[in-house]
Amino acid sequence: MEQRLANCVQLTVNEKQFIENALLSELRVDGRGPLEYRKLSIKFGKDDGSAEVQLGETRVMSFVSAQLVQPYKDRPNEGTLSIFTEFSPMADPSFEPGRPGESAVELGRIIDRGLRESRAIDTESLCILSAKLVWAIRIDIHILDNAGNLVDAANIAALASLLTFRRPECSLGGEDGQQVVVHPPEVREPLPLILHHLPVAVTFGFFSNENLVVLDPTYHEEAVMTGRMTATLNANGDVCAIQKPGEQGIFQHIIMHCLKLAHVKAGDITAKIKDAVEKHNNERALQKIKRRSSSVSVDVCGTTARLRGKQNQSGGGKDNSHLDQLKPKDEANFMECDATSSGQVQINKKDEGSKNFTGGPSSWYGKKDPYSECVNSDLLKAPMDSEC
Amino acid sequence: MESKSSGSATNLVDQLVYPGDVVLDLSSMTNQTIKLGGGLRQDCDVISVMKAGRLRFSKPNKYWVESSQKRYVPHAEDSVLGIVVDSRSDNFLVDIKGPAIAFLPVLAFEGGTRRNIPKFEVGALLYVRVVKANPGMNPELSCTDASGKAGEYGVLKEGYMFECSTGLSRMLLSSPTCPVLDTLGKKLSFEIAVGLNGRVWVIASSPPTTIIVANALINSEPLSGVQQKIMAEKLLQRVQ
Repeated sequence: MEQRLANCVQLTVNEKQFIENALLSELRVDGRGPLEYRKLSIKFGKDDGSAEVQLGETRVMSFVSAQLVQPYKDRPNEGTLSIFTEFSPMADPSFEPGRPGESAVELGRIIDRGLRESRAIDTESLCILSAKLVWAIRIDIHILDNAGNLVDAANIAALASLLTFRRPECSLGGEDGQQVVVHPPEVREPLPLILHHLPVAVTFGFFSNENLVVLDPTYHEEAVMTGRMTATLNANGDVCAIQKPGEQGIFQHIIMHCLKLAHVKAGDITAKIKDAVEKHNNERALQKIKRRSSSVSVDVCGTTARLRGKQNQSGGGKDNSHLDQLKPKDEANFMECDATSSGQVQINKKDEGSKNFTGGPSSWYGKKDPYSECVNSDLLKAPMDSEC
Repeated sequence: MESKSSGSATNLVDQLVYPGDVVLDLSSMTNQTIKLGGGLRQDCDVISVMKAGRLRFSKPNKYWVESSQKRYVPHAEDSVLGIVVDSRSDNFLVDIKGPAIAFLPVLAFEGGTRRNIPKFEVGALLYVRVVKANPGMNPELSCTDASGKAGEYGVLKEGYMFECSTGLSRMLLSSPTCPVLDTLGKKLSFEIAVGLNGRVWVIASSPPTTIIVANALINSEPLSGVQQKIMAEKLLQRVQ
């Protein structure tokens, strides 16, 4: 018990009183006004789909990766989206490693609801073969430093990484149109995801004095505040989601006021995200031009992978190649993924710094894909641990 | 550790040193007593560095390594700011940002007897002195100085407390007064209590003044003396 007390950051009565008193004169402890956001900076990693956001002292990192899986039975034409959060113990002394705690799950749910319910990502464009193969998008959010308002920072990071993520292009071919060819980035330019709009989360903090509302609370303000609300809106003013986890009751007119504020802030933040993404895309385009001209191949040394309908063939490798097998339970034909020559099929795009994403749906904690038995995940995954 | 020139340490004083650096070669110095502070240790004939930081020397013969951390390692006779987390029958449990919770005996106050035990609520901020701090044990605190007088120790009411690194605390306590405190003191009136454990308490007549002082102190950590003066003056100008 004593050890746990020693590990948490303690709040003094002095701070609590001071923060509330200062707010009565519209002052916050770091010198901001009550409705000001902290400085936002968005950086991108080397790989597509990785972003790091710094909101004041809060730092959050996000990666997007994609994998070919079988779709859910009730939505055979749509790709899937899943969000995983990791609250690293280096971010805050009260975060424990292992199973995500309550606030981690809540954060994941807020971001998930903002993206899924508002249908921000066009999941139908992720379908390759109806009822057989779709892209499953996975967003991993890592909290690096907790200085308050993790939800907003994590949401911005997720949006930034979704905007810069590129998935390989696939084409259908073959006699019966059942062959799927996944093209590596050298052969065909990978495609961006289609996002209809950007749902931005804006968090409000409420205090015991009913008229006090702050935007973007810091760590200490979060410890002092008596109520919170997160509104997810896009720049058009559509409300995508609202999260108000119990605690203090708020008057209706204050909530409406907050939503109007959130609309304005969502517009600002959307503009900032789009600017940062555009700058990053321009830089990458310039780099690509340089890269092609000097003909140095970086990253993936992939090859064409072909899925064929074939009879049962043993999964042993031929020489240097790897045979990946897809065995849907209810199909008589076995589909195989055959990599020719000394290549590896790299379907996933990930940041080189991330933990190795070993693939199959069965290894994702939290969400269990109902078709995990059908898809032999070991063989679908590319050997991630070897340098490419 | 070998290719370092042995001999006197004058070339390394006030320099950044890293664990493994050899600071002094004792075989070349005879009949001298050297006092070693934190971060240094004796390996047979040489004094080598254990902690990364700046090597400091004070006449006539004291050497030590100074570094700045976010967490605090308790030492005896340090004045620190503690937060009460719990009270027991014979001790208050006080958090001082160290590896273990510290104990403040209920009688460790000036004129403290069983009849007038002070009552501290959870979250009370105290300015206390570390009496005993042995590794592995909970440190012991006291609200009196060594002679039993209260002095400035005790509970700190109102004001605002922020956390910083141990290096900033030491800089704020250094003499002569550090430039940022000088510059702020010329225009504003405020009171601060600095704990060597990386906590600083500020109180002023109005919240805006307190906020200015707190932010100026937090921002002054990476700056040199002259830069601190400039930063503080700019901050004061913006406000007035």
